Amino acid sequence: MISYLVTVVIFVAIAALVGLALNLQWGLAGLVNFGVSGFVALGAYAVAITAPHVGWLAAMAFAALMCAGLSMLLSLLTIRLEENYLAIVTIGFGEIVRILLLNEGWLTGGALGISGIPRPFAGMTPAGWGDGVILVFAVVLVTAAFAFSEALVRSPFGRVLRAVRDDPTVTAALGKPVLALRVRAFAVGGAIMGLAGALHAFFLTYIDPSQFTPIITAYAFMAVIAGGRGSNLGLILGAGSIMLILEATRFLKDIIPWIDGVQLSALRLGMIGVGIVLMLILRPQGLVAEPKRRYGEFFPKDAAGPAPNRALAEGGKA
Amino acid sequence: MVAQLFLNGLVTGLLLALPALALTLIFGIMRFANFAVGALLTLGAYAGYLANVTFGLPLPMAAAFAALVVGLACVLCDELVFERLRERGSITLLVASMGVSLVIENICRFAFGNAARSFDLAVARPIRWNGIRINYEQMTTAGVVVVALILFHLLLSASPLGRAMRAVADNPSLAAVRGVERRTVARITWMLTGALIGIAGVLAGLDRAIDPLMGWNYQIPIFAAAILGGLGSPLGAVAGALLIGIAEEMSTLVLPPSYRQIVSFSVILLLLLFRTNGLFGAKAVRK
Amino acid sequence: MNAHAAAPPPASALDDPRDHALAVAGLRAGYGRGGDIVCGIDMIQKPETIVTVIGPNGSGKSSFIKTLAGLLPARAGRIEVTGRDITALSPARRVAAGLAYVPQEANVFASLTIAENLKLATEFIRGRAGVGPGQRERVLALFPELGQRPKTLAGNLSGGQRQMLAFACALLANPEVLLLDEPSAGLSPKIVGETMEAVVRVREAGVTVLLVEQNVAAALAIADEVVVLVAGRLSLRAKAGDVKQADLAGLFFGKEA
Repeated sequence: MISYLVTVVIFVAIAALVGLALNLQWGLAGLVNFGVSGFVALGAYAVAITAPHVGWLAAMAFAALMCAGLSMLLSLLTIRLEENYLAIVTIGFGEIVRILLLNEGWLTGGALGISGIPRPFAGMTPAGWGDGVILVFAVVLVTAAFAFSEALVRSPFGRVLRAVRDDPTVTAALGKPVLALRVRAFAVGGAIMGLAGALHAFFLTYIDPSQFTPIITAYAFMAVIAGGRGSNLGLILGAGSIMLILEATRFLKDIIPWIDGVQLSALRLGMIGVGIVLMLILRPQGLVAEPKRRYGEFFPKDAAGPAPNRALAEGGKA
Repeated sequence: MVAQLFLNGLVTGLLLALPALALTLIFGIMRFANFAVGALLTLGAYAGYLANVTFGLPLPMAAAFAALVVGLACVLCDELVFERLRERGSITLLVASMGVSLVIENICRFAFGNAARSFDLAVARPIRWNGIRINYEQMTTAGVVVVALILFHLLLSASPLGRAMRAVADNPSLAAVRGVERRTVARITWMLTGALIGIAGVLAGLDRAIDPLMGWNYQIPIFAAAILGGLGSPLGAVAGALLIGIAEEMSTLVLPPSYRQIVSFSVILLLLLFRTNGLFGAKAVRK
Repeated sequence: MNAHAAAPPPASALDDPRDHALAVAGLRAGYGRGGDIVCGIDMIQKPETIVTVIGPNGSGKSSFIKTLAGLLPARAGRIEVTGRDITALSPARRVAAGLAYVPQEANVFASLTIAENLKLATEFIRGRAGVGPGQRERVLALFPELGQRPKTLAGNLSGGQRQMLAFACALLANPEVLLLDEPSAGLSPKIVGETMEAVVRVREAGVTVLLVEQNVAAALAIADEVVVLVAGRLSLRAKAGDVKQADLAGLFFGKEA
C-alpha cells in the first residue's frame, strides 16, 4: 500500500513538472507544444543512457540542456509564423522521437528499452529506504520548479510575456526582443520537461518507448487547462486532481463488471479528451483563475521598457 | 525497383491527398490545423469495417457508409466544439482538436478493442507489367481518389457552393455582405471534408491493419502535404500529397522503411526554414 | 450660413418613407463589452443624393457605416431603407432589402477571378427585384473595363480597378442605398479622382450614396450634403457647397459650429 501511494505521489510530481513546463510555454509565452511526450521521453532516455557513466546530476543537466536546445530550435523555426505551424512541428517532433527511440536500438534498446537506471543517492540509501529517497527527491524537484516558475512569472521577463501573450499586435510592434523572450520561455519549458523525464526514469529504473505515448501530452494540457492558464498553483492542483481521478477510475472495473480492461482504459483516456474540450468551453479561466495582476504591477512607473503597450493594445481594437 | 517505388509512392500520395485536401479546406474556413484528422481517418476505417465485415456489405457501400459517418462526426464536432470556440483563436481550437482526437480514438478503442482488424476481401492476384507489380488495392485507391479529386475540383471551381466556400475562406465578412452564410458553408465544408477523410480511412484500411492508432501513421505526412502545398490551398494540398508520398517511398532506397515519417517531418522543417509559403503560395507569416 | 447643429429629427420624419432613402434614428453601437462608439445618431437621407460622413480619427465613422451594413450589431435605435425597418436583419438580408456595402479595404475576393466576384455578388442574394442580366449589363456599362478580363484574379488588379470591381459587385444587387467605407483609402490622387467620378455616375444611375471619407477635399467635391461625426455624435450637417475646409478644422477639435 505504501509503495502504491509513493507511486501515485511520484506520478503526480511528474505530471506537475510537465504541467509547469507547458504552463510556461503555452500559459505564459503563448507558444503551444503538442510534442510534450517527445521531450519527456528524450529527458528520460538522456538520463538513462548517461547516468551510469557520468552520475545522476550531470545526466540531469545534460537532459535539461538537450531538451532546452531542441525546443529552442523548434520555436525559432516557427516563431514568426502562425501558431498553427509550431503546433504542427511539435506534433511531428513527438512522433519522430518515438520512431527514433524504437528504431535506434544500438543506443536506446529499441522496443525493449533500457533497464537498471541508477537512482540518485543509490549508493548512500539504506536498504528499504529507496522509495523514501526518491519521494523526497521528487518533492524537492517539483518545489524547485514551482519556485522557479513563480519567480519567472513575477520577473520583468514574465511581465512582458504576459502582457503580450494574447495580443499579437503588440508582439509585432515590439518585434524581436519579445520573440526572443518567448523562445527562451519555450526553451526553459523544454528543459523542465526533460527533468520530468529524468524523474520518470529514476523512479521506474526501467524505460521503454511505450511509456511515452502522446497521452502524456494530453495529460499536460488537461492539467494546464484545469489549473487555469498562467496559474502555477492552479496547475499543481490540476495535475494532482487529474492523476487522482485517473488512479481512482482504475477501480471502476470492480463497479462495472461487464467492461473489459481495454474498454476501461479507452473510457479513461476518452474522459481526458472530453475533459479538455469541456473545460475549454465551460471554464476557460480554469478552476483557479490566473491571478489578476494590476496594471501598476505590469508596468511600474520606473519600468523603462514596454510602457506604451497598453495604448497600443487599445489602439488595435478601435 | 525505382519505378515500382515511384508507383507505390504515387498511390500513397493519392491516399494522402484526400485528408490533406480536407485539412487545408477546413483550415481555410476555420483557420486552424485540425489535429483530429488522424483520428477521423481511423474512425473512417472502423466505420468501413463495421459495414463491410459486421454487416457484410460490399466495399463500395462500406466506403459510402464511412464517408457518411465521418462527415456527420465532423459536423457534430463542429457543432459541439469548434464553432463554440471559434472566437477564441487558433491555439484554443488546436488544443480542442487534440481533445476531440483523443475522444474519437478512444470511441474506436472502446467499440473494437486494440486488436488489429482487416476488411473482408477476396485475395486478388496483382497485375504485372514490365516488371512492376500493381495490386488490386492500389488500383482501387488510385481510381477512387482520382474520381473524388475530379469531383471535388469541379465542385470547388465551377459550382456556386465551391465559390461560396472559397469566398468564405478568402474574406468571411465580405462573404457575409454578399449573402453567403458562413455557418451554412462551414457545415457543408465539414460534411464534405469528413466524407473525404472517411473514404481515405477505408482506403488506408485496404493498405494496412485497422487499429485505434492507425491514424497516427498518416498524421505527419498529411500535415506535411498540406504545408508543402501552402495551408489553405486545395490544389497545393493535392500536389503536396503526391510529392510527400513519392518522397516517402523513394526514401526507402536509402533509409529503413520505418523512417518514412522522418522524411515528411524533414520536409516540413526544410519548408519552414526556406519557403514559408509552401511551394504554391498562401501566406504563412503573421504580421 | 445654412449649417445647423444636428438636432434629432422630429419623430414624424420616420413616418413618411417616400421622402427618404435611408433613415437612422437613435442609433447606438459598440464593440464587445466596451462603451458605445456610435452614440445616438439620427439622420435622414433623401433619395439619389450623395452624403459624405467625415470626422476626426476615432470619431466612429467606420463603426457607424459598419452598423448600417449590419457587421456591427446595433445596441439601440433603428435603421430604415426606403421605409422598411432593417435593424434586425443580417448583413446579407440587408443587401436583399436594398442596402449594399463596400468595405474599406479587402473589398473584393482576391483569390477569385473578376467573373467569379461578379457572380458571387448576386447568386446568394435572394428576393431582390431587378437583379439579373439587365442589371448586369447596366453595371458593366458603368465600368466597361471589368467585362474585358473576366479571368483575371481580383488580387492582381490595381487599387483603382479593385475599387471599381467592388462598386460593380455592390451595384449588381440593384441597391437603393450604397454604403462606401473610405473608397479613396490607399489610392493615388489621380485614381481618387476617378473613383469619385464613378461615385457620381452611380448616383446618376439612381442610387443613393452614403460614404465615409478621410479625404475631405475629394469627398466635398462630389457630395450634396456633409455630415460631421465627432465622438460618435453628429455635430454638423450642411450642404456641401456651404462648407469650407477651414470651418471643419474647428469642428474636428470640438468647437461649437
